[in-house]
Amino acid sequence: MPEFECRLKKYRQLKELTQEQLAAKVGVRRETIMRLEKAQYNPSLKLAIDISRAVGAPIEEIFLFPETSEKEEQGGDG
Amino acid sequence: MKQHSVRRIVLPGVICALLLAAASGYSMAFNGGRLVEPMDFSTYVFRAGDLPMLLALALTVCYVGYLVVLLVGYTLSSRHRQASASTARAVNPRLGLLGLLGFLGFLGFWTYQTDGSIFPFVFFLFFGFFGFFFEGKLSGTLMDERYRENQLRARTTANRVALTIIFLAVLLLGQGKIMGNLELTLVAFVIVVVLALALELFLSSYLLYRYDHDEPAARDGE
Repeated sequence: MPEFECRLKKYRQLKELTQEQLAAKVGVRRETIMRLEKAQYNPSLKLAIDISRAVGAPIEEIFLFPETSEKEEQGGDG
Repeated sequence: MKQHSVRRIVLPGVICALLLAAASGYSMAFNGGRLVEPMDFSTYVFRAGDLPMLLALALTVCYVGYLVVLLVGYTLSSRHRQASASTARAVNPRLGLLGLLGFLGFLGFWTYQTDGSIFPFVFFLFFGFFGFFFEGKLSGTLMDERYRENQLRARTTANRVALTIIFLAVLLLGQGKIMGNLELTLVAFVIVVVLALALELFLSSYLLYRYDHDEPAARDGE
């Protein structure tokens, strides 16, 4: 199981997109978007980029891996 | 299959059959039934009267070769189409009922007892066709990257299971000591290999379905 945090749902809702609409935009099934939002599926780089473009947010803000989170926290503290 | 494709296959076949029938009739009427009735080919000497039959036979052989080439071409192109397709192939789940033919494999125990024939055991392979039931449920599914990943995972797992069974069968049955009988050992080996292949066929479809549906799809956040 992939260990990362996914903020796709938040960005998708900000863009007022349904799971179906986002799925159609990036060429995957709704189930794939659903699993991505639950951080149960680790997408390919291409899909991550497509999603990032579709919701208009940087990849690193949508998919947060543990190391990324730690670095962000360190940066925030400093 | 398109109509012109069917015509391209059937028409030469009909022509070949007609030529063969005409040549056989000619041979029976005017050539003493040569090349039609059973004859000793070790003493065969060519006669001009054999020409129609020889030509008809040659055309029929060419036609069979043509069919083989068409079949191979169709198989290769359909594989290519499947690989580049964006949706899973449409399969009727009822085809899974073909798996019931697998029970014919049990006839092998009877035929082996009566005339030593073990061919019916091959019917166990049909058990793998139960997988069509699960493949049918995924008919027309968009094959996105998660689907293809799951497909690869399912095939790998199925192959690993089948190979493990065959490997164990080789190790255990390779000693040739089932009831101290080598023939029985070979029969058991055939059965195990056929069942392992059937399991591989079934698991490829079943696991793909499981991986794709391992959690209830819920619409949230909409």
